[in-house]
Amino acid sequence: MPGDMVDKPDCMNRSILHVDMDAFFASVEQRDNPELRGKPVVVGAGSHERGVVSAASYEARKFGIHSAMPSREAYRRCPDAIFIRGNHDLYMDVSRQIFEIFDRYTPFVEGLSCDEAFLDVSSVRKLFGDGVSIARRIRSDIKSELSLTASVGVAHNKFLAKVASDLQKPDGLTVVPADPEGVRLFLAPLPVRRIFGVGKTMAATLGKLGVRTIADIQKINMDSLIRSIGENAALHIRELSFGRDSRTVEPEREEKSISREHTFSEDAVDEEKILAVLLELASDVAHRVRKQEKFACTGRLKLRWEDFTSITRQRPFEEPSCDDMTFREMARMLYEKEGRAGRPVRLIGFGVMDFISERTSQMVLFENEIREREKRESISRVLDDLRDKLDGGKIGFGSSHEVEK
Amino acid sequence: MKFKVSKSKFFESLSTVQNIVGAKTTIPVLSNVLISAEDGLLVFTTTDLDVTMRCSCEAEISMTGKITLPVKKLTSIVRELDDGIVSVEVDEDNCAHMRCGSYRSKIIGMSADSFPPTPTTEGATTYEIDQGKFRDMLRNTYYATAAEDARAVLTGILMSFEDGKLICVATDGRRLALYESEIDFPVENNRDVVLPPRAVTELLRSLKDNGDLVISIKDKQLLFEYSGLFFSCKLIAGTYPNYKQVVINDCEKVITINREELLAVLRRISASTTTTTNAMRLNFEANILTITVNSPEVGEAVDTVAVKYDGEPLTVIFNPEFMMDPLKHLTSDDIQIELNNASSPGLIKSDIPFLYVIMPLRM
Repeated sequence: MPGDMVDKPDCMNRSILHVDMDAFFASVEQRDNPELRGKPVVVGAGSHERGVVSAASYEARKFGIHSAMPSREAYRRCPDAIFIRGNHDLYMDVSRQIFEIFDRYTPFVEGLSCDEAFLDVSSVRKLFGDGVSIARRIRSDIKSELSLTASVGVAHNKFLAKVASDLQKPDGLTVVPADPEGVRLFLAPLPVRRIFGVGKTMAATLGKLGVRTIADIQKINMDSLIRSIGENAALHIRELSFGRDSRTVEPEREEKSISREHTFSEDAVDEEKILAVLLELASDVAHRVRKQEKFACTGRLKLRWEDFTSITRQRPFEEPSCDDMTFREMARMLYEKEGRAGRPVRLIGFGVMDFISERTSQMVLFENEIREREKRESISRVLDDLRDKLDGGKIGFGSSHEVEK
Repeated sequence: MKFKVSKSKFFESLSTVQNIVGAKTTIPVLSNVLISAEDGLLVFTTTDLDVTMRCSCEAEISMTGKITLPVKKLTSIVRELDDGIVSVEVDEDNCAHMRCGSYRSKIIGMSADSFPPTPTTEGATTYEIDQGKFRDMLRNTYYATAAEDARAVLTGILMSFEDGKLICVATDGRRLALYESEIDFPVENNRDVVLPPRAVTELLRSLKDNGDLVISIKDKQLLFEYSGLFFSCKLIAGTYPNYKQVVINDCEKVITINREELLAVLRRISASTTTTTNAMRLNFEANILTITVNSPEVGEAVDTVAVKYDGEPLTVIFNPEFMMDPLKHLTSDDIQIELNNASSPGLIKSDIPFLYVIMPLRM
């Protein structure tokens, strides 16, 4: 097809950065609390609680502790580690500062999480110099302004940039050669699991074919690869093994949902307790929705039972909403429908989605109900102010009273 | 207790009552049907304590008596029997021995003594209305009730017996459907009650096109007798909002539209709406209505429909579902839409004593 000629973007000539903060939550804690510096710090659930590690400092990683590991396991590996529950609001503030630095250099920023982003700097090289220079400037801005370190990979596509940023962590800058042979040699020694899409299971399958490194993929006979993992997967990892990736940086990936979950320290059976936790989660979600000046159209409950089976149930709000009471009512309603008397609950979560920023408001028939909705929103906003003033202190509904209702 | 009954009548009676079983397994007898054999008649009763349903069929009774049997099980057994005569004999251990053709079974039941007493119409205030008429009233209002999680009274239908009229009203606070019928009763029987949604569903299922319906109100109970059926339910407690304050009878601008044409356009248009943009813009001009939806995720859609209208152009935003609901249930060829402006309630009327008030969305 003639279209083939024009559709292919000029891949080799792009300049993509992958910026990844080093042990983000833990580093923020160490920055703000000098006594934590140089010590194994674990942010996440407490050492004797269920729940997982959200971030581990490099000192803790030496003990094999990594994020998503159960906190009890982390404690077993390093009983001297300092466990911190963490301050989510603070991390989000710092995250915003980091993204502000990115925005100085390019509008093409695709945030992957609060501490990780792709930046396409191809079009701003005339202004700020080549990709490597921009990477240096960003690292230096982050260090001098935020006293944190970031590792950056510079390459001509997203896959290579991401692989690169991980190679010299922490505080590393890795540049991938631009020529195909340089790319091939750069990838060759790396384990095949560096390729996204290659998980434990596929790595094991590939292992049976004698594939350990990306070099093995570069050399393998395509037919046997297709036979063992299927055509789509085979083509996918073959392309990536030569560093070919045509995905573009997609700026402004908007948050699709806002949710919170809680893992009980012991599987919970007390319905009042479960409900009380759930309602607090709902309030917290509402608070975050209001902070982003949005309204949600759908609410969702997540329940995980003691046997690790999970369900989610969702339902639209009568109207786009952002107030605590409406979220709490939705959470309660979904839970009362799905909660099974006496069945132990391991995890409970509440989230909302389908956001709009302005609502074409449905007018109501009865005056007193208009006042009710406005009242709910204004009460919720007063609560927000109080929460901010109390600086993380607890303010909320008399949950115990509400549970009795 | 001993009786013979035709399979078809037995099955029909059981299917009529089998939906009313207690969800609360704490009272096992609520999963059972009470069967009592009286002269020439078998009476079947089920209840979940809120709702009670009773029907009867002719049978050859050789020994009167009462028994309760698991209704779901019994119904599925009887469904599979060959057509013919089923004979049932109950022993003193509350076991029912059933025979039909070559089929034999023993079903373990429970004593009728543990079955809760059934409400009676004794001393109740009663009203009479045609079954088909009442079913139309329910059909044309029920969709406007609030979802199950809303304030309890709004989930039901208000039945207002007032000065020789029965007025059925349903509202979820954003639209309201009202249907009135003249019926004959003395003024001292003026009364407002709220019919719970479960009863509405059951009535819509079992009311016939015509025939008498006797409605009785007693204490906190509503009782219905029709086609040999007896049905009772607990009223929803609470005060129904004062619907009269929001019901208007006329607006300045009157538009006449063919109901089915409008409905077809609305269905097409609403296919482009989403959870986040459940709104459509209606633009009324001389003899034409243009409907537009615009949603960031899907895109947009426009369609037009011919109308009879000669007033000033007017634009108003409605939730498409709210507009389609009454159109789906009405049967007239044409309907009237009446409006004042973009920020006050609109009306939908038909050729029956029906009124629908719909609130717009703020622009």
